Amino acid sequence: MEPDVSIETSSMIRVAVLPIGEVPSSLMRDYLSMLLRHQAIPLSAISSFYTEHQKSPFANQPWDSGSLRFKFVLGGAPPSPWEDFQSNRKILAVIGICHCPSSPDLGFVVDQFNAACKGYSSALVERCFAFCPGDSQLEDGSKKGGNLMLFPPADRETQELHLQTMMQDIAASLLMEFEKWVLQAESTGTILKTPLDSQSSLSSEEVIKAKKRRLGRAQKTIGDYCLLAGSPVDANAHYSTALELSRLTGDFFWLAGAMEGSVCALLIDRVGQRDAVLEEEVRYRYHSVIVHYRKSFIQENAQRVSPITFELEATLKLARRELAKEVVDLLTAAADGAKSLIDSSDRLILYVEIARLYGTLGYDRKAAFFSRQVAQLYLQQENRLAAISALQVLALTTKAYRVQSIASVSKSSFAKKETGSGHADSTKMLHQSVVSLFESQWSTLQMVVLREILLSAVRAGDPLAAWSAAARLLRSYYPLITPAGQNGLASALSNSADRLPSGTRSADPALPFIRLHSFPLHSLQMDIVKRSSAREDWWAGSAPSGPFIYTPFSKGEPNNNSKQELTWVVGEPVQVLVELANPCGFDLRVDSIYLSVSSGNFDSFPVTVDLPTNSSKVITLSGIPTSVGPVTIHGCTVHCFGVITEHLFKDVDNLLLGAMQGLVLSDPFRCCGSGRLKNVSVPNISVVPPLPLLVSRIVGGDGAIILHEGEIRDVWISLANAGTVPVEQAHISLSGKNQDSVLSFASEILKSALPLKPGAEVTIPVTLKAWRLGLVDADTAGGKSATGSIMRHSKDGNSPALLIHYSGPLTNSGDPQTNEIVIPPGRRLVVPLQICVLQGLSFVKARLLSMEIPAHVGENLPKLVQVDGHCSEGAIVSNNKMEKLVKIDPFRGSWGLRFLELELSNPTDVIFDISVSVQLENSSNEDGLSIDHDAAEYGYPKTRIDRDCSARVLIPLEHFKLPILDASFFVKDDQADGVASGRSSVFSEKNTKAELNASIKNLISRIKVRWQSGLSSSGELNIKDAIHAALQTSVMDVLLPDPLTFGFRLLRSSSEPEDLGSHKEYTAEVLSSASKGSVLAHEITPMEVMVRNNTKDMIKMSLSITCRDVAGENCVEGAKATVLLAGVLSGITMEVPPLQEIKHSFSLYFLIPGEYTLVANAMIDDANDILRARARTDSLDEPILCRGPPYHVRVVGTA
Amino acid sequence: MIVCVAVVGHQNNPLYIQSFTDADDALKLHHIVHCSLDVVGERVNNPKKSGPTLNETFLGMLYPTENYEVYGYLTNTKVKFILVTTDLDVRDTDVRNFFRRFHAAYVDAVSNPFHVPGKKITSKTFAERMSTIVKSFGLSSAV
Repeated sequence: MEPDVSIETSSMIRVAVLPIGEVPSSLMRDYLSMLLRHQAIPLSAISSFYTEHQKSPFANQPWDSGSLRFKFVLGGAPPSPWEDFQSNRKILAVIGICHCPSSPDLGFVVDQFNAACKGYSSALVERCFAFCPGDSQLEDGSKKGGNLMLFPPADRETQELHLQTMMQDIAASLLMEFEKWVLQAESTGTILKTPLDSQSSLSSEEVIKAKKRRLGRAQKTIGDYCLLAGSPVDANAHYSTALELSRLTGDFFWLAGAMEGSVCALLIDRVGQRDAVLEEEVRYRYHSVIVHYRKSFIQENAQRVSPITFELEATLKLARRELAKEVVDLLTAAADGAKSLIDSSDRLILYVEIARLYGTLGYDRKAAFFSRQVAQLYLQQENRLAAISALQVLALTTKAYRVQSIASVSKSSFAKKETGSGHADSTKMLHQSVVSLFESQWSTLQMVVLREILLSAVRAGDPLAAWSAAARLLRSYYPLITPAGQNGLASALSNSADRLPSGTRSADPALPFIRLHSFPLHSLQMDIVKRSSAREDWWAGSAPSGPFIYTPFSKGEPNNNSKQELTWVVGEPVQVLVELANPCGFDLRVDSIYLSVSSGNFDSFPVTVDLPTNSSKVITLSGIPTSVGPVTIHGCTVHCFGVITEHLFKDVDNLLLGAMQGLVLSDPFRCCGSGRLKNVSVPNISVVPPLPLLVSRIVGGDGAIILHEGEIRDVWISLANAGTVPVEQAHISLSGKNQDSVLSFASEILKSALPLKPGAEVTIPVTLKAWRLGLVDADTAGGKSATGSIMRHSKDGNSPALLIHYSGPLTNSGDPQTNEIVIPPGRRLVVPLQICVLQGLSFVKARLLSMEIPAHVGENLPKLVQVDGHCSEGAIVSNNKMEKLVKIDPFRGSWGLRFLELELSNPTDVIFDISVSVQLENSSNEDGLSIDHDAAEYGYPKTRIDRDCSARVLIPLEHFKLPILDASFFVKDDQADGVASGRSSVFSEKNTKAELNASIKNLISRIKVRWQSGLSSSGELNIKDAIHAALQTSVMDVLLPDPLTFGFRLLRSSSEPEDLGSHKEYTAEVLSSASKGSVLAHEITPMEVMVRNNTKDMIKMSLSITCRDVAGENCVEGAKATVLLAGVLSGITMEVPPLQEIKHSFSLYFLIPGEYTLVANAMIDDANDILRARARTDSLDEPILCRGPPYHVRVVGTA
Repeated sequence: MIVCVAVVGHQNNPLYIQSFTDADDALKLHHIVHCSLDVVGERVNNPKKSGPTLNETFLGMLYPTENYEVYGYLTNTKVKFILVTTDLDVRDTDVRNFFRRFHAAYVDAVSNPFHVPGKKITSKTFAERMSTIVKSFGLSSAV
């Protein structure tokens, strides 16, 4: 069988083209291409070379339209045993091609050519074309003459013209030879035999039969020559004769041959025409050709030779001409016929032809199937050349089986890109990738093909192809391959790599699978913030302000990574995390892996990774951007198994997508135990010019700052510019939790240090105050540490951080025309203040204690705090510190004095000193003197609490009483009582509460409990809440004065000064009053009671005074009265004007010495709302009883 | 005798291939099924040649190969059913009938809420049902 046959093949003159001497292959190809232009020589063109020696047998030669056709066979071919049967199989001419510069001796060339021609006995014309001869050779060659044709060196056009002439000459010579042959055959006849004819001696009957047949065969052969001579009409005439004769003699084989020739003649005659009738005719005749070939099958010859090849050839010839369905039938028939072919090379040719025909039909899979058969036949030959052929054929099938090498895919897609539009192409590419995912499920077939490619590549000695096939096999089908098989492939990979030069690249990646894991954000120390020229305070809003780490407004969709943008800085190393997976059963060593960046402005650093069996690993790949501009990262370049490959993230993404949809065998990452990762896409990365880089350091060590609760301490933070650009702008703000623990930071020091040159350093102080433990712990449990790149630094996330926004100078863009000022982004430095708060003094409880010490009745009125306390006490404070102590003056008493008792315990192992201070604020602004004392503080002596001890600290609440009980405090109460509208009452109640709370707060804020421990640490207890709770119920009592104040006084001597002008005098008074203040028994003791109205209204009341003895018995009235009385003691009706006092005098006569108690009571009539509110009573009728504090009277003397 | 049935998905991805021969010729049958997709594709793309009506799902004999004949059937969702048989002369109605039952079985299989469209059919019920249908194919033609 012959490859590439068609119906017209019968009309082609076969010409062997032989290289003579040394001809470089490239030149040979060049010369051949020149020859191939002359496959058809028109008859009209050769007439000038043609001389009619005798009458031409080709009577009907179409000199104006016909042509001679050539089929050039490079390297020639051995003579076919079927030459007699089909004359076109003969080599009818030989053309030698000689490249003169490489073959200097022309004589030798001629000899060589003649020797080569000996092998082609059937050749009628022989010519040797010698190209590019030298001058001497030209001279020499002209002498040689004969068949040697010299082509003098000239430009290509001239050479082509020259060649054309030569070819026309050859054509004319051939035509003349054909004529000669035909004339001879017609006259003498020839004996034509085929291998099909019986080789054994013929019986007489057969001899007769053979003689009869001979004529028909001769006619058929003459027809062949007519056809070769380009005269289809003559050919047809001879074929018709041959048909009849062979039909008569039953020479079916030749009948079929003649019929085939006649069809060819028909087509040549009607060349260019194509109509249904012709097609039908051709089809009909060819079917009968096929039938007759089949008929000519002789059983006895079957083992040796069979006409089946001709039948199949005829089938293929027809198939090549036909379309679609019929072709399929024909090809199917041809494929079925393959089994009966004896010669395997025939079968090879048949399969090649079938595959090619299916390919032209668009039946890719069929073509691939037969190509594979071809490859298998090649592989059966077990030699290297056949293996190379097999490899090439298999490479053609890979497309249909979707296992092609990426190299071939990208080549074709590039070719497409050049022609097609970009967008349509990209969608197509996407589609292709999806389709390939689907089709990758034909794993049974695909693996077989890849395995065969591997086998043939190994046999063909093509290590790169072997590597690529093994890589594809391993990468795509590892789940279907046993661990042993995987190991085999791995060793195939390394064996192939051993034969490859180092640094070989392959388009097909092998292992591992690589996907993008994440792009780590800039570390907190070098975060980059965009800034715009429009805003001076570009830092505002750029930092996560407020308590939330994530704000939906400041950031876009966090999941939408495609919009994510990254900024890298020239010269600053960056990192990218990728995940590698080795799902195979062998340990994988990745010799080097680094980021593959196509934009060329990135230096990546390779790393070496070892991946054990069935494992995945996240690794960090780093690099340094080298110049400004966008950076695109497609994947990684991997050096593994001795070959460098490019692993694209996109491919793996597709693979994982396919795995998710169940299209791909398995997800390599999941089978390695790695979790499912959200699809990470490569963000837009842009590189900006160098920026300044501040590095912070906490002076005195970067460890956590250990503080006790409430401790206040200064820390110094040193900032150094580690970049190459000065810092020109800087701004400090706070972020994170517990921001109020930073009391102050000296941003002005930083500002004054600007611009901070590279390498310069500045130190700024920060004042910290430790927060209380326990309050924030609950928050941390809820807060995810993963979300906060900001809060990542602190383990418990409670520490505040200083945010320092800074930026370098503005730079001019390189473009001189625009002269545009480019604003480089600013940076943010987060200085975490790692504060570790230790438990300090712990607060146990707060209590409000009231202390009631009755006053003694003396000659002076008890100092009424409400009345003149502010003035006098303020003076005392400023004069003597001792006075800060709370002294209980026996004549003064302390009725209603309240103390706040704080119980503190010290669970730590240090000693704390507690000092309480009360800040006095003059709440009554009417008092003109108050200005000086506004910020006056009451200090109390320190209380020391040893470790593991607890102590109580008393805070007197004596200085807080308002001087006047006025309505303002109860304004809201009035409303509530007066207008009983529900809504307003609720509202007013709220108001009241708020006011109450405000006053409590005001009160509390004035009380400060400071502690000190050792020399360095000091702080303040935050016990506001506790005090608040303790005071809540009785704040009114603490703050508000009683409506009435009562006081008793002995009226003994009126000469003594009542006013307490100076302190000394007062002290003396106090001391002396101990003796003076006593009352003698059996003496009339004149006394007076003083009632002061603390309200702004007139109070009408009925005052009564009772005197009790030690036993509590009323000793004024009753039978056993021990005190005699002069004056009125009960039912004294008086009206006290607002803020005035009224005195009422009386005299007592004590019969028995001892202790007596005087108590004044007042029954207030017509009490107003304020009074009722103060007394906490609601009913209008109930009289309000005002009880004064008890006063003691010590009566001395003898009974 | 039916040697192989196959379901091929919309994207020419195999969903189900089952051979009913004892011989180890799975690869060959895979190839036959794979190659038959060429013919199916051609018939789908050139509907004029494919059959009398547009809505015909039965594609008829796709091609004869070696000892086999390959029949095809195309659903509205472009899922292909392929039948490879060794019987060289089967009645058209038998094949149509076979495909109808095949289709019903397929529809039941993919109606399973746990079936992911586009994934291979792994249902045992479907496999059992298919083998019953295949077995009854010979019988019904005999009757």
